[in-house]
Amino acid sequence: MSTNELSHLVKMANQIASNIGLGSTEDEAVDKVVNHISLFWARPMREKICANMQESANDLNPIATKALVQINAKL
Amino acid sequence: MLQRSDSVNPDTSGLSSLGTGTVAAPMIFDPRTDIDPDKDYGTPAPTNDPTPVGELITLHIDGNEVRVPKGTSVLRAAAMADINIPKLCATDSLEAFGSCRLCLVQIEGRRGYPASCTTPAEEGMVVKTQNDKVAKLRRNIMEMYISDHPLDCLTCSANGDCELQDMAGVVGLRNVRYGYEGDNHLDAEKDESNPYFTFDPSKCIVCSRCVRACEETQGTFALTISSRGFESKVSAGQDQAFMDSECVSCGACVQACPTATLSEKSIIDKGQPEHSVITTCAYCGVGCAFKADMKGDEVVRMTPWKGGKANRGHSCVKGRFAFGYATHGDRITTPMIRDSIDEPWRKVSYEEAFSFAASRIKGIQKEFGRNSVGGITSSRCTNEETYLVQKLVRAAFGNNNVDTCARVCHSPTGFGLKATFGESAGTQTFDSVEKTDVMMVIGANPTDAHPVFGSRMKKRLREGAKLIVVDPRSIDLVSGPHVKANHHLQLLPGTNVAFINAMAHVIIDEGLESTTSIQERCDVESFEAWKAFISDKRHSPEETEKYSGIPAAELRAAARLYATAGNGAIYYGLGVTEHSQGSSMVMGIANLAMLTDNIGREGVGVNPLRGQNNVQGSCDMGSFPHELPGYRHISGDEVRTQFEKAWNVTLDPEPGYRITNMLDAAVEGTYKGLYVQGEDIAQSDPNTHHVEQALKNLDCLIVQDIFLNETAKFAHVFLPGSSFLEKDGTFTNAERRISPVRKVMEPLGGLSDWEVTLGLSKALGYEMNYNHPSEIMDEIASLTPTFERVSYERLDQEGSLQWPCNDETPNGTPIMHIEEYTRGKGNFALTEYVPTEEKVTKRFPMLLTTGRILSQYNVGAQTRRTENSSWHGEDVLEIHPHDAEDRGIVTGDKISLASRAGDTQLRALVTKRMQPGVVYTTFHHPESGANIITTDNSDWATNCPEYKVTAVQVNKVLNTEDASEWQAQFAAFTKEQLAYLDN
Repeated sequence: MSTNELSHLVKMANQIASNIGLGSTEDEAVDKVVNHISLFWARPMREKICANMQESANDLNPIATKALVQINAKL
Repeated sequence: MLQRSDSVNPDTSGLSSLGTGTVAAPMIFDPRTDIDPDKDYGTPAPTNDPTPVGELITLHIDGNEVRVPKGTSVLRAAAMADINIPKLCATDSLEAFGSCRLCLVQIEGRRGYPASCTTPAEEGMVVKTQNDKVAKLRRNIMEMYISDHPLDCLTCSANGDCELQDMAGVVGLRNVRYGYEGDNHLDAEKDESNPYFTFDPSKCIVCSRCVRACEETQGTFALTISSRGFESKVSAGQDQAFMDSECVSCGACVQACPTATLSEKSIIDKGQPEHSVITTCAYCGVGCAFKADMKGDEVVRMTPWKGGKANRGHSCVKGRFAFGYATHGDRITTPMIRDSIDEPWRKVSYEEAFSFAASRIKGIQKEFGRNSVGGITSSRCTNEETYLVQKLVRAAFGNNNVDTCARVCHSPTGFGLKATFGESAGTQTFDSVEKTDVMMVIGANPTDAHPVFGSRMKKRLREGAKLIVVDPRSIDLVSGPHVKANHHLQLLPGTNVAFINAMAHVIIDEGLESTTSIQERCDVESFEAWKAFISDKRHSPEETEKYSGIPAAELRAAARLYATAGNGAIYYGLGVTEHSQGSSMVMGIANLAMLTDNIGREGVGVNPLRGQNNVQGSCDMGSFPHELPGYRHISGDEVRTQFEKAWNVTLDPEPGYRITNMLDAAVEGTYKGLYVQGEDIAQSDPNTHHVEQALKNLDCLIVQDIFLNETAKFAHVFLPGSSFLEKDGTFTNAERRISPVRKVMEPLGGLSDWEVTLGLSKALGYEMNYNHPSEIMDEIASLTPTFERVSYERLDQEGSLQWPCNDETPNGTPIMHIEEYTRGKGNFALTEYVPTEEKVTKRFPMLLTTGRILSQYNVGAQTRRTENSSWHGEDVLEIHPHDAEDRGIVTGDKISLASRAGDTQLRALVTKRMQPGVVYTTFHHPESGANIITTDNSDWATNCPEYKVTAVQVNKVLNTEDASEWQAQFAAFTKEQLAYLDN
């Protein structure tokens, strides 16, 4: 069982979205995910997941996807 | 310290104004701090003295006016005035016993000759400690003892450290009228079964100090006095050899013994030490202070130091006895390099090793970019060393790819406590437990993993504190001698957050919250939102019972107990953090403490029990890729600029890779160089297949360690590390206590670890200049507000300091968040339960959880190279009898353990400690491959691996000669790599 880097990043983004966005509106939840990933993820990780958004589209949950779009815009 | 009144300067001490009764502040005597830790006062200070601070009584001892706190024994009062009454069965680590009668005195107006150890000092008492009558009585007593004692003092191992010999001298014993021919115990057989100490009953005076130490100090109750009268003897277990008994080899009995009866084998072999150096243990996060007892530059004994504020004179089998690894033959003391891991090592000079490493790192960065290299700091190294490694990464590598092994243990603690309280650290001192009324232990096993603190907990429990244990496994605290948990909530692994939410739900549901403190101290808006969330029925114990396995009624009772029993303290370990919701659980714990006003005073708090000696310190020192020292985010311009100026370099404002991400990128081929100091990721990190693949992909792996550990087998550069005995520095324990580590011998490899890092950094083109670790600490203090007033000079004065230690709190901060939370108002965080993706299936129907055992430490690199392996020579799989029976497994059978990540083979231990459906193992032996089984699932916020939940299958192995495929590969690889050392 050896996960590749991209699938691991997708899983991490989904986990963050599932845990952090609770009790918030969708916009707030997206903001929280953006903030968390910006604070704790290295730039190459953000670049990698953003560069492969299409490939991961089916695997990313909606909040994570919206957050990554915003993150991508800032890269 | 309180002295005889004739030695007190009335102008400065305040004593001259003292009479009977209450006196005003300033307090002039603190029985806990104002004593000489190297002196034995005979009986303990009256710590539970109900009288107000400063209320002293006056008595006269041999004509000297002595003032002491109420409850002080006459023996102790005399000792405080430097009048040392002879004694044998008394020692100030144990309650008075009154059996030897040597300390008898005369008290004016009282009949007979009371034992001064059991007689409380009273106002106006007039005591005579020495006159012809008591002298004669004492000589008679000694005469009786010596009539049944070998007269081999000159060749006795205790010669020079024997209280019996000393007392014979003090009382002036000159002959033994009874002769030595009568019945005696001189032929009693020695018990040498324990690898570290012997029990020689021929030298025993049956003073019961060992028995009492085992009870009072350690709390194991392994020793007793069996039989009566002349037949009385110290007995381990039920007249068993020490090794066959319940003895945990903490050594408290050896330390308490006034004769040679219980002696360290090292002292028997080598003789008494000639000097001692006070230092700090390099094992768990308790951070015990020890006297390293030395002969020249050789450690002959480690004695827990009574002045140590974390351990108060106690120790465990690791700290006291397992120091032999430091001089083990496996130590590698010469730098080595090689081009590939398929080649033999070449021994080289430090300069050549530094130059080789630097050139490779620079080459990698040129080809793969600045971010293609990084470093890992160690919680086993000092604050100063850790600080230097992160500085090297940030300044010399030019990125923030630095992480630490706390990533895989307590990173959720830092995240969770910062989010709720505002500071990434535990809130209390260890002493605080003495004021606790109810303790809740969650996912921790203190009697194995933090044994000295475990003993302090047990002491408080014996005094009547209540106990809630939350653990899938029945740990020793659940039921032991004179300790029984009021509630053991045996949840299923992975349901922590459901549990903590249910606890909070009950407290709100039943109106048990502390409304006043919430209104005054917490962010009310966050509380209201949280209250609405937690009040939902889905968090009720009746609902969570369905998947957590905790009966609702039991959970409700536990919640009521925690909320209403007085001071409630939560102690937790890696069973909280090492989950996919580790950070949520830490926040849930913080919520619960704030909800019930259990923060900000003695006896309460949220206490993460740190696994390794310097987990707290390594985190404090900026080892995380997103934070500079003092937990300040790298993106903050003001702080970063401060460091840029001090370090004369431009810093990257972006967070770097965590260990997990480094390994992922290495597998992908974009991350190529790694500097690892004192850490063994190949053994300790989850999903070994993945880790090994990553390490094999590196072009330059630099390992700095004392042994060729599992990670070093994949390395290209090996830099010799130094043990804690070979360098100066500091460790910071679980109570934020910064304690000195002192060099007692020269580094076997010629350089201390901090010097090695300086050499590597210089070769990389970034020179750091320090002449001594104290200068590194000065730099840390100048850049880190919580360390502002920390220096080696202050540490020498105070013994230790708890951060924050700054201008506002120059003597440190034992208890945090007293007036307000560090962040201002306490923040209630929403903690929805999100089940882990690691689920049981038909193929993997059981859950594996992992942990530690008393005698071994972490990856075992140190303890496996000591006699501690006598207790735990291999990792075993604990399995419930029902599951074992289903599979035809009995204790000792070889079993296969398989998960989605891999499989390995271990021996089984069938035990009711486990619940059906859950199995458990430790990870102290690399060949066990516990981490072959664990997956790369991790905490959502911090990537702390989910070691505690892995779906597995267990089957009996029929061909016991077989090993798993990985184990066979591991054995072959190890053999190959060891052969590369011999060239």
